[in-house]
Amino acid sequence: MTKEERLKKRHRAEKRFRFYGLTSIFVALLFVVILVQNIFSKGSSAFKKTVINTEVFFDQELLEIQNGASQEEIMEADFYDIMIENLIKAYPAKDRDEEDELLKLFSGDAEIEIKKAFLNDNNLIGKTITLDLTASDDIDQLHKGNYPRDLPEERRRISDFQLVIYDYFVENKKISKNFNNYFFNNGDSRDPELAGIGGALIGSFYSILICLLLAFPVAVLASIYLEEFAPKNKITDFIEININNLAAVPSIVYGLLALQILLSTIQLPRSTPLVAGITLALMTLPRIIIPCRASLKAVPPSIREGALAVGASKFQSVFHHVVPLALPGTLSGTIIGLAQALGETAPLILIGMVAFVVDIPSSPVDPSSSLPVQVYLWSESAERGFVEKTSATIMMLLTFLIVMNFVAVYLRQKFEKRWN
Amino acid sequence: MSNIKIKSKNLDVFYGDKQALFDVNLDLNEKEVTALIGPSGCGKSTFIRCINRMNDVIDICKVTGNIEMDGMDINDKNLDVVALREKVGMVFQKPNPFPKSIYDNISYGPKIHGKGETKSELDQIVENSLKKSALWEEVKDRLDEPGTSLSGGQQQRLCIARAISVNPEVILMDEPCSALDPIATAKIEELIDELKKTYTIVIVTHSMAQAVRVSQKTGFFHLGKLIEVGKTEKIFKNPDNKMTQDYITGRFG
Repeated sequence: MTKEERLKKRHRAEKRFRFYGLTSIFVALLFVVILVQNIFSKGSSAFKKTVINTEVFFDQELLEIQNGASQEEIMEADFYDIMIENLIKAYPAKDRDEEDELLKLFSGDAEIEIKKAFLNDNNLIGKTITLDLTASDDIDQLHKGNYPRDLPEERRRISDFQLVIYDYFVENKKISKNFNNYFFNNGDSRDPELAGIGGALIGSFYSILICLLLAFPVAVLASIYLEEFAPKNKITDFIEININNLAAVPSIVYGLLALQILLSTIQLPRSTPLVAGITLALMTLPRIIIPCRASLKAVPPSIREGALAVGASKFQSVFHHVVPLALPGTLSGTIIGLAQALGETAPLILIGMVAFVVDIPSSPVDPSSSLPVQVYLWSESAERGFVEKTSATIMMLLTFLIVMNFVAVYLRQKFEKRWN
Repeated sequence: MSNIKIKSKNLDVFYGDKQALFDVNLDLNEKEVTALIGPSGCGKSTFIRCINRMNDVIDICKVTGNIEMDGMDINDKNLDVVALREKVGMVFQKPNPFPKSIYDNISYGPKIHGKGETKSELDQIVENSLKKSALWEEVKDRLDEPGTSLSGGQQQRLCIARAISVNPEVILMDEPCSALDPIATAKIEELIDELKKTYTIVIVTHSMAQAVRVSQKTGFFHLGKLIEVGKTEKIFKNPDNKMTQDYITGRFG
């Protein structure tokens, strides 16, 4: 081989390597794009809900309360008749059967929505107002274009007559899309149009808060002791190996542990953020200890010696100099650990977070769901409405994770001190 | 003849199974500069780290024998090392300012020892220390800037200021100029000359010229043994030991 040939071969090898590298990056990006596109196209419509513009007349004869009624009186009052009487006027139905079909176009919460309007203004008796009443899931999906209307009638959930009413609503501009406040405020529901992630959000928040409060102090103190004070011997080596092993234990094992110890032995209330937080804290502990120890190790020994040489005690040299320098790395490690905990599903299923919970938890000891478990629950539901809600929940979860990771990177870059 | 400040007798140091110092008997005179020379790994640094018990940091290090400062046994297990290090300051090979402001670098020592109760007292200590270390004029307008933003030579003078801020009696310097250029080195040497009026100084150095320039007494170490010690002039002009002669003339080392 001549010198030129060899040189050419070396250049070719470099070009080949560049090509492989670019291809792998392209493939990786392609998958990210497909994933995000898929979730967005399915989920973005869940942030809007279809509403039917309905005139509501508050007829004194159908209500047992008066104008100016107190809040309790309104809450107890029956608005069912008012609802029926007004909804059947939304379309000129001929008989009882047609009226029944018409009523099915509204969500199960129409009565509550009318009641809420009256709660806002208790002087409505004898007046007519226009309300945006939430449509049923079928109409919602039909209006969003997710529902095939060219199927034969017996394979559709919407009857031909209901399609006629829908077309009448569209023609008269009585149907529109509003911001879906139910998705953020409501708990879970059997009706997709009423189901929301409010409960799951609060549940996840409480769980992560408890996880942070338990895991962070324990992990940081353990790391400082192990790294700065503990004698280096076989026992500390053994502990170090085991902490690394703990970080690799599958999360479902922590779920089993929590099931046995927290639920069976200690009898803590199941399905609660309290138990979820403790379980996630156990799981997160080694995942904070490892970056915390790494940050402590990264502080150059000269800083410790400098402090000791001016007469600082061991404790002072650690807490005045080493720990502040290790804090940015520790915090970013903690946030990434918490982000992992936020997305964790398996251990939560084992401790009963998978239960169907309608109420929004008001404390960490109330039964609750959490974001990833809500995704799991809804992904098993057949209704088209839950498909978009599953993707929308994933979008929320991903948003939180991305924000947390950005905060972690920001903290590290902003506060990490450079030394020579 | 000046007073003896620090006295070591039959001092042995072990790192695990390895012996680093063998039977070192060395006296350091008060308000004088003592230079320790010798090839790398000969135990010079180990010796000065015995004076402020810095070897305690190393788990496997064991010190036996006797080392005294003003008649006080430094090696006593019951001795409070914090109090000892208040009296024996140290400057390291590589400048190691804390990643804090220039002011905080110097005020840290006095603060933890309870010197300088008020802000104005602390200000005074900071100013005096910086003046003594000949850094005041260069940094007086930017005391809030991080100590790490200074040049290498300035950083080392900052570390010297940090060491003298707690008003020690002895300053140990472990190759303080090895990371510095000749101009910065000259400034430090000038400073050492000035500081020896107040402090007892021990300096480890690899530069014979530096030892000649700054010290009054020189000790030559080789393989953990103190080969020869005496007046600097004598050591460099007319050493008793053949090995010392060979080392200072550059025939080995």
